[in-house]
Amino acid sequence: MLFGDEGQERLKKAHIFIAGAGGLGSPVSLYLAVAGIGTITIVDMDVVDQSNLNRQILHNDRDIGKKKTVSAEEKLTAVNPDITVHAIDTRINESNAATLIGNADGIVDAMDNYPTRYLLNNVAIHMTIPLFHGAIHGFYGQATTIIPGKTPCLKCIFPRAPPGEVSPVVGATAGVIGTVQATEVIKYLLQSGDLLTNRLFVWDGLAGRADEIHAERMPCCPACGGLTPDKGGKNK
Amino acid sequence: MTVKVRFFARFRELLGTDIPAEPEDGATLLSLVRDLALKKKEGYDAIFDGHGNFHEFVIVMRNGKRVEHDDVGAVKVADGDEIAVFPPVAGG
Repeated sequence: MLFGDEGQERLKKAHIFIAGAGGLGSPVSLYLAVAGIGTITIVDMDVVDQSNLNRQILHNDRDIGKKKTVSAEEKLTAVNPDITVHAIDTRINESNAATLIGNADGIVDAMDNYPTRYLLNNVAIHMTIPLFHGAIHGFYGQATTIIPGKTPCLKCIFPRAPPGEVSPVVGATAGVIGTVQATEVIKYLLQSGDLLTNRLFVWDGLAGRADEIHAERMPCCPACGGLTPDKGGKNK
Repeated sequence: MTVKVRFFARFRELLGTDIPAEPEDGATLLSLVRDLALKKKEGYDAIFDGHGNFHEFVIVMRNGKRVEHDDVGAVKVADGDEIAVFPPVAGG
């Protein structure tokens, strides 16, 4: 086995929180499920629409009109009946975010807007849980792994939200970034390889190029500026 | 002095990337990027607002460190600098 019994057991004992069951949430949740992550909580409040199907590969044509959480739970338990899936139909907000995330070992940002991303970032910092960020538009994508107190947080890198988009996205872009995020989660849980920390992975599908931009913590960051490394995340 | 400017994603599509530049002494991050972007109006408009300032969401990094927009007009570029200009994306 690639991970050995011990590694597989670590994945089995892990609990990962996935915010969003859309374009990014689809590949992230499917790959984490088949990797054997023992508990997956996935949250979404939308209903499957035909326009989602070019990229949200967790949902099929026959799911149109169904809650995404219902569809997600069906698919994830179908690909791996040995895991526990909590699919929660709600909008993540300031009052419920920490409770929803609970004792998760990692938070996957598969959202489509920055206000909720900043909220996840705050909870990650407050609870010292790693945050696996991803975002996409068209043929472009970005990803980074945030270990609170040790690496730049989302606000250090993106202090101001880009304009909201109704994103035309090539489904394969969600595949590229979502699988990078899933890989990061698995590496983090296995303590294996080099995490995508202090680096922003930048995918340009049009140019066929992957780059990285070095990133540093901002001492004056309003979100994580006061956090010291010894208070940093539970980097196993 | 020689510096390199890297545009990413849509900015790269419009302006190219890994552009070597030889700015004059005293050039700032703002003047350097503005001069390069002015070569193509669409690229300029993607990066700058009507007042000639970076759109507020544009990330400007000098040698890996993000520079606040309030400072880009004051920070002078130095020989060997690598400047990255990046538009974050929002979708998921």
